[in-house]
Parts: sequence; C-alpha cells; structure tokens
Amino acid sequence: MRILNTLVAGFILTLVGCGEGDGKANTQAPSAPVTSAYTLSSEPADAIAVGAARETAENDKSITVVGRIGGSEKPFVDGLAAFTIVDLKVAYCAEDEGCPTPWDYCCNQKDVKSNVATVKLVDEAGKPVSGDARELLGVKELSEVVVQGTAKRDDQGNLSLAVSKVFVRAGK
Amino acid sequence: MLSQSILIFVAVTDYVLASSHHHRVNSPMLLPWEYGIRNLARRPVRSGLTLAALSIVVLLIMVVVGFIRGLEVSLAESGDPDVVLIYSVSAGENIESSAIAARTPDLLTSSIAGTVDRFGVTFSSPEIYLGTRIVSENGTGGLGLIRAVSERSPLVRRQVRLVEGKWPGRGEVMAGNLAAAKLGVDPAQLVIGRKILFEGQEWKISGRFVASGTAFESEIWCNLPEFQAATKRQDISLVALLLPPQSSSAELTLFCKERTDLELQAVRETEYYAALQQYYRPVRLLAWLVVLLVAGAGLFAGMNMMYGAIAGRIREIATLQAVGYRRRAILLSLIQEGVVMAAAASLLAGLFALSVLNGHAVRFTMGAFALKIDSFALIVGCGTGLILGALGALPPAIKALRQSVAVCLKAI
Repeated sequence: MRILNTLVAGFILTLVGCGEGDGKANTQAPSAPVTSAYTLSSEPADAIAVGAARETAENDKSITVVGRIGGSEKPFVDGLAAFTIVDLKVAYCAEDEGCPTPWDYCCNQKDVKSNVATVKLVDEAGKPVSGDARELLGVKELSEVVVQGTAKRDDQGNLSLAVSKVFVRAGK
Repeated sequence: MLSQSILIFVAVTDYVLASSHHHRVNSPMLLPWEYGIRNLARRPVRSGLTLAALSIVVLLIMVVVGFIRGLEVSLAESGDPDVVLIYSVSAGENIESSAIAARTPDLLTSSIAGTVDRFGVTFSSPEIYLGTRIVSENGTGGLGLIRAVSERSPLVRRQVRLVEGKWPGRGEVMAGNLAAAKLGVDPAQLVIGRKILFEGQEWKISGRFVASGTAFESEIWCNLPEFQAATKRQDISLVALLLPPQSSSAELTLFCKERTDLELQAVRETEYYAALQQYYRPVRLLAWLVVLLVAGAGLFAGMNMMYGAIAGRIREIATLQAVGYRRRAILLSLIQEGVVMAAAASLLAGLFALSVLNGHAVRFTMGAFALKIDSFALIVGCGTGLILGALGALPPAIKALRQSVAVCLKAI
C-alpha cells in the first residue's frame, strides 16, 4: 500500500520536475511599400538594360539601369538594402507553370548569368544602407525597377551597382 | 453460490464501513483511496500483466518520441549561429555535392572584412565533406561521412573536442563518438590504433572526438591536403567562416551575389540545419503517426484488459451499490485503479528508458544521433499512459454500472 502511494507521489514529482523551456519564435516581418529618400517619383530617361550595362558600363561612372528583381530564390540580401536584377528580356517562369518562386528564373537559368547585376543602396557617403530593400523601397520579387548610381565591373564581367535612387514601375 | 455472494457482501461492507465511516458525515460518499489500491494487489497476476502491457506501450511511445527529439536536437545543435557556410549555389541544400575552387577561402578573407582574425590567423575552415564507403579491419563497414579539414578547423568548429588520442597526422584520422553507429560496425573497430580503409587508402585512427551530440559526432575527420591527394581532387566542398558574435552575414551574402562567376552562396549554419529539419519533416510526421498508432493500440489493449477485470467483479460492484455507494463514486474508484496502474507503468517505463535507452546511438541517413529521452519524451509518454489508464477503465466500468444491482448480485 505504502509502496504504491510512494510510486504515485514519485510519478507526480517526476512530472513536475521535468519542466524545460525551449520555445523559439520564428517570425517574418511582412514588407510594406513606403516612400523613402531613395525612391524617385518619376522614371528616369535613357535607362539601359542589364545585359547592355554588363557590356558597356565603365567603372565609377554614373549609369541608369532598368531590370527586374530576381535571379535566384532569394534575390534580396538580409541585413543590407541590396538585391539582384535581371534583364527584362529574360523570361521568367509563367504563372500557369505553377512555379512557387518564378523570380529564380529556374526555367531560364542559362540566360541569367550574363544578364544579372547586383544593386546595393548606398547613402550620401557611399556606404551600403542597412535594412531591408523591400521595406525601404516598397519592392518585392519580380518588381521592375530603374536604378541610378555608379557601376563597378570586374575582370570576370560581374556588374555591381551602387545606387542612391530607385524608381519602381507601377503595378510591378 | 449463495454463500460465496454472502461472503463477498460481508467482506466488502465490512472493509468499506470500517475504513470510511468518517467520509459519510457529508454526502456524496466516495470510496476510500485505499480500496482501489488494495484491489490492485488482490489480483497480482492480472495486475502484473496489465502493468507489463501498459509499461510496454508507454516505453514504445517514449522511444519514438526520443527518436524524434534526438533527430531534432542533433540538427538544431549542429548549427553554430556565428558560423557561415560558403558553398556552391548549385548544391542546393546538399553540401556533399558541392564543389568550389580551392582558392575560395583566400579570396573570401581578402575581400570580406568582419571574419574573426587573431594574431594574423583568419578563423576560416576549408573542408571537403564526402560520403564514402569505409571498411574496418574485420571487413565490416558501410557508408560513412568524411570531413577533410585543416589545422585551423577547431577555431571554427567550436563544438568539437578531442577526448582521446591526438589530432590526425599523416595517414591518420580521428573518429567521432557516433561514427561506429553510422557505419554499423562494432565500436571496438574504431578505437585508437585500429585501421580503416576508404578511397583506396589505409588510415590509422589517431583520436576520438565528441561534439555535444551534434551531427559532427558521426563523422571521421582527416587531413585536407592528404584527402585531396587520395581522391585526386583539387577543389573543396565548402568554407566555414566564424563571424564575431551577433554580427551580420549580409556582407558575405552580398559578395556571393556580386561574384556570380564563382557561383557561391552564403548560408548561416543554423539556417542550413533548419533547412535539413524541414527536409526530415515527413520522417518526423511519420514518427508522430507511429506514436498515435501505438497509443491507439495501447488504448484498445488496455480497454480489453479492463473489460475482463471488471467483468470478474460484477458482484463486488453490485454489492458496493447495495451498501449505498453511488455509481459515480464506484466509477471514480475504478478509474483511480486504472490511473494508478498507468502511473506505475509510466514510472517503470520512464526509469527503463532513462537508464537503458537514453543516449543509445541511432543510425540515420545523415549520420547518427543519440536517442534523447528528455523531459518532453517523458511527459508525452507518461501523459499518454495516464490518459490510457483513465480512458481504458471508463467504458467497461460504465457498462458494469448500467446493469441492475439485483441481477449482478446473482451473477456467476
């Protein structure tokens, strides 16, 4: 009798003493379109395509480039206002194909390599801006943007744009 | 027959009246706690069998939950939040299929500021990670995981601790604590001094390491240049970089995006293993389904047993009703018996699981991990046991209480 009572008491104590907290929240803040100091209200003229910019851009010279945000599954850089853009002539997966991430151009990857550029938002001092480009510019994957800034091309043909102003085309 | 009924009646009333007269001052009258407990001891064989069956059910649930917890914890703890992995963008989430240029570590450290650097040594670890067939001295073996590292690797892989022997020199390897489980060989085959064969070369075991139960523990580590020579590879699989605590990996990600020609991606190690957790989600769901099935089977087995137990006590239950106990009080006492039995079974199963099964190595596709009978596994197992005890007793008890007292008193 006493042994059974002891067992029951032991069981209850075991349950009570086994508490262990390990909860970790995993939240993702939704991006909201905003007007900021980095956005343009009207579209700049004479913007050139990404593919052409990769051929003609000169280092540290001003340039205006038009492209579509994408090129990989995660075109935005977490922690920096930076992203990749792809030439508008490169087709992305059509909606009816059912691709969950059409902005990664998985159907047309071979054309992306020679038609992609990296865009990083810089402040007046030329330093990369911290934060999320989606929140700062009100853009998302597949948004069409016209960016104004300076170009940097390396020997391997990679094009990087340090931009201070971005125009986001309506409806994209 | 009649004398037997009278005997039961006298015994029950005598005991109940003697032990619970103080309860009757206020109604409703409940059966004393000791009544249910003594009933269990009155039928030792039946109680023993019920206890054994419940213990097995609870133990099975604890083992399956321990499997799920072991897998989850192994993957969760494998990722160091300050380490960023740089590997091929085409490899997706499988580092084993990654191949990047051997010059990548130097390129990264010269281009990126922010990695930890002390006394001129950058905390970066170029590695080859490969799954290959490994054969022990007695001819047994299986598919094992090799990580070829440099002497700078411990600066980045901070979980790894050499607990026996020495760092591998020429022609040597060190084996993780769970490497034998991963290979499916006797642990004695991977002790220091033994030899193993992989990639057409014989390697002597020089040390044994632990890594806080992470995925590294199922690996075998060797010297990077020597492994490159053995496999005739000039490339590497990945570079692991240590960043200062709380720092951002944004610059590394940006570098990888800018250098499209290198086809690199930067992924925090914690994110890499979180993605693996998602990959193994179906396995975990299946394991939870097993928990449900085992619990369901246990419930029906327990119910079946309780039906038998209560069927044999029809006259006793009727007698209790005849002396004035309400059906609710008798039902409560029967549930108490079931719950006490389940609690004892849960305790036994918990003790066995903790002392014998906890930490037992489990072989898995991604390596090996230790069965983790933690507080969560104990609570799920014991909780299920208690629910089984209560629910299992309920239907047969209700069935017995619905019958007429007069009929039941005459029952054989």
